[in-house]
Amino acid sequence: MGNFKVKVRKKARYVNEDLCTGCGSCAEKCPTMTVDVYNAGLGNRKAIYKYFPQGIPSVYTIDAEACRQLGQGKKCGVCAKVCQANAIDYEQKDREVELEVGAIVVAVGYDVFDPSVIPEYGYDHLPNVVTALEFERLLSASGPTAGHLDRPSDLALEIEVESLEKDQKKLSRQVKQLEEKHGKSSAEVLAQVKSGAAADDKDLSGWASAAEKLSDVEARLEPLKKKVAAAHSAKKLAFIQCVGSRDFRFNKFCSSYCCMHSVKEAMIANEHDNEVNSSIFCMDLRAVGRGFEEYKLRGGKQSNIRYVRGRVAEITEDEAHNPVVWYESTTSRQVLHEAFDMVVLATACVPTAGAAKLAELLGVELDGNGFVRTDPLAPLNTSRDGIFVCGCAQGPMDIPESVAQASSAAACAAEVVAPARQTAAAGS
Amino acid sequence: MAEEIRIGVFVCDCGSNIAGYLEVSELAEYAKTLPNVVYVKENLYTCSESGINEIKAAIEEQKLNRVVVASCTPRTHEPLFRGTCEEGGLNPYLFEMVNIRDQCSWVHMQEREQGTDKAKDLIRMGVAKAALLQPQEPIESPMDPRAMVIGGGISGMTSALTLANRGYQVTLVEKAAALGGLLLQLDRIGPSNADAASLAAKHAERVQKHPKIRVFTSTAIDQIKGYIGNFNVTVSTNGVQEEFGVGVIVVATGARVLKPVGLYNYDGEKVITQLELESLFKKGAFDAKKVVMIQCAGARNEDRKYCSRICCMVAIKNAIAIKERSPETGIQILYRDIQAYGTENEELYQRAKQLGVRFLKYDQAKPPKVEPGKVTVYHQLLGRDLELPVDLVVLSTPLIAGEDNEAISQLLRVSLDENKFFLEGHVKLKPLDFANDGVYLCGNAHYPATVREAISQALGAASRASIPLSKDVMKVEPIVSTLVDEEACRGCGLCVALCPYGALEIVRTEKGRKVRVIPVACKGCGVCAATCYQHALTINSYTDEQIGQQISAFLETGTEG
Amino acid sequence: MNNDVLVIGGGIAGIQAALDLAEMGIQVHMVEKLPSIGGKMAQLDKTFPTNDCAI
Repeated sequence: MGNFKVKVRKKARYVNEDLCTGCGSCAEKCPTMTVDVYNAGLGNRKAIYKYFPQGIPSVYTIDAEACRQLGQGKKCGVCAKVCQANAIDYEQKDREVELEVGAIVVAVGYDVFDPSVIPEYGYDHLPNVVTALEFERLLSASGPTAGHLDRPSDLALEIEVESLEKDQKKLSRQVKQLEEKHGKSSAEVLAQVKSGAAADDKDLSGWASAAEKLSDVEARLEPLKKKVAAAHSAKKLAFIQCVGSRDFRFNKFCSSYCCMHSVKEAMIANEHDNEVNSSIFCMDLRAVGRGFEEYKLRGGKQSNIRYVRGRVAEITEDEAHNPVVWYESTTSRQVLHEAFDMVVLATACVPTAGAAKLAELLGVELDGNGFVRTDPLAPLNTSRDGIFVCGCAQGPMDIPESVAQASSAAACAAEVVAPARQTAAAGS
Repeated sequence: MAEEIRIGVFVCDCGSNIAGYLEVSELAEYAKTLPNVVYVKENLYTCSESGINEIKAAIEEQKLNRVVVASCTPRTHEPLFRGTCEEGGLNPYLFEMVNIRDQCSWVHMQEREQGTDKAKDLIRMGVAKAALLQPQEPIESPMDPRAMVIGGGISGMTSALTLANRGYQVTLVEKAAALGGLLLQLDRIGPSNADAASLAAKHAERVQKHPKIRVFTSTAIDQIKGYIGNFNVTVSTNGVQEEFGVGVIVVATGARVLKPVGLYNYDGEKVITQLELESLFKKGAFDAKKVVMIQCAGARNEDRKYCSRICCMVAIKNAIAIKERSPETGIQILYRDIQAYGTENEELYQRAKQLGVRFLKYDQAKPPKVEPGKVTVYHQLLGRDLELPVDLVVLSTPLIAGEDNEAISQLLRVSLDENKFFLEGHVKLKPLDFANDGVYLCGNAHYPATVREAISQALGAASRASIPLSKDVMKVEPIVSTLVDEEACRGCGLCVALCPYGALEIVRTEKGRKVRVIPVACKGCGVCAATCYQHALTINSYTDEQIGQQISAFLETGTEG
Repeated sequence: MNNDVLVIGGGIAGIQAALDLAEMGIQVHMVEKLPSIGGKMAQLDKTFPTNDCAI
């Protein structure tokens, strides 16, 4: 304690942070799309990107793996060409920074539990079963659907339609060109080829095959477009609590904030569209913070939320991709099932993937759940002097608690590095 | 004030963020036509090094005495541009920023012509205001580097020790005769099972021995005057008064356990509170064989809507304690929800079940009935009434606000919530600060908390308190409320009542009652200036005249819409 | 004895800890694995119980 030497690897952004003004011209022209982690995998972003628009620092980063040039060795360089600040640097390397510090505060947060290990909830293969964080992105005006509760199954349909329409455009153009060039109709050529009359003519066969493909695409497109037109935003929501929490198979502990999180999401969804109604399936509805119980009651009264006490046994699907929830309502002692437009899984708060490695590096102990171990009477102290922990790195907690703990950890760290202040007019 | 106003306007392309959606060159040409504008420059990035240098150069070469930048939001670069003006020899408050990005180009991306028209309006308004800006100097306020902690329970003692360990002089004021607060009445605390009284004693010893902490016990607070950096406190101990000064104050006054008189036939003997149960443990006087605990007794109802957070775990802790003393004692806990949140509590819940404690769910609409020797409850999950034979009923009652909360809130001019707990500055982002600067909050005084949470909050409050303490002098931005017309002020006090930050007070002067601004506490929100019907108060750099001129400028060219 | 502090993580907790320390006059080094700070909170739409926007 008091004297830690830390080696940090500053990863290459391939963008010079001092020159980049965050203007965005590069991302506008970048030809490569990849999965957007910020939007919980629900949208796409460019290979050169800002993690989110208001991110600090306000500079861009190249995702080297996705980048056409850096990751796949193809020739590109578009971003460098359009950057008016000359900030792109493809040669930038990771560099090591050595820091000497007197105290360390660990605030590495948490990861979202992956519900695909609960096969009966169908997260892996049912498109309209999403995690709470994914739902958060769907609700967000800056998210992939601009805040409309579009169902992932319908979004997938739209993507399919888009792709087929692209094919249709390409094939139509091809066929039209051939028709104009030869002055014949595709139907004639098809008939010719089918009758075997032009078996050796490669051009004619090609034309016929294109024409066939076109009508095939158009046949598939019709019903899909009808489906897309008939699609509606999600109105009937189900929230499943304790997914991965309070579960002997995965995590025995309670993730503290997910009850409130689901109430909030249900309320905001109802704000977006007051036809939205939500059912929250829970064991205990834990609303223990200031204003939380009142918030929960308000949700019930004003936002069409009903609270059902019962753990969900299984989620299946009907032909319209509506998830069907099978549950026991313990207060009415009935086993029921009900179809919803979308199901949101209130997933557990688990230690970050790198927690174990970080703990090893720092020489601090983890508790039985994999969070950083602290002493109940010294709640910010880790097992090593001079290293403190705050927020979800210590255990699941909500924002006010994280903020309060952060100040606490600051006080502890300050006591280590700046113990006695020389104050000007100290009164004895 | 016959100086010639010479305004320089810098219109920013912001790369393509503005130029991509508005005709920036048109805006620059338009700016040239505005009154008092002597210099206009269009920049690719005004915030870049070259842009900054251009501003500085223009101030000198063009003898500018006002600068307007039309670009992004003040939240990004206003401090940068103010600093630039200062470096160029111009008072930084002769600078005005016009947001034609976040509030224009970004929201009118498909309306180039109308967006450009709107940007013209905004620039015209900014220029009109800039002409009326006056130079300002930062306001300095003294910082008394001492702290007071009100309350000597675990929160108060922890806060005091933390500040004292950092070298600050702390005065701890406690109304009871001994330090320790609620801990003195508890048996053991969960989940560590530590002995409460020893914990309190250990902390009290450290506090009493600390050279930087002065302790007052059996002491009441009579008066608190002043503001951050400059509080003046009067306390009295057994009738003897003493006065001292501090820079910051931490409120750690705790809470009380509700005595549920009239509820469930509470009598303090056969029907008791959890606190009274702990008292039985401490005296070694517990001997019941059939215990029923009722959760949410007097909580989560019409009178007290809130959940008191800790009572479920208190009940579970005490149930386990009973089973450890007396394994044959039957315990049934009647609950609505079991609030075993977080990583450790679920395990204790499971442990209680394994030890044979039974948990029965009841509905708020059908509360249990307590009679001598039996408790009748409608078991919500079985769907029928159960009669439970009982020789001791323990009610888990909520923590309620300390009896002195109202008095203290008035002494400090801070707010209480609807349950009379102290109200923090912001529920999410300022959980340990009050809206008023220089006063901080932790522990049960804020909301029911476990010992662990209280200790954590106390450390946090000490951290927040040490921020102003670490400064020799408080420097405040001069965009604060100012009394511009003392004659007009009638001393009505309306502004004082409405100020959310305690930044105004009424004082006696030779001219009668007048308002006085406390600049260091003022956030420049403008409520006072908007309220004063005498127009005696205004906000520097947002004066009535300046705002009025902006409105006139907007209306004069009368764009459609 | 070195007087700087390292904060590992740039989410809301890391940010608050760093701000408090810096405002006390202590030099802070913050390390964040993602390209910007903000953590999980930046991915939230609104927060309970005030329904303030998370950004």
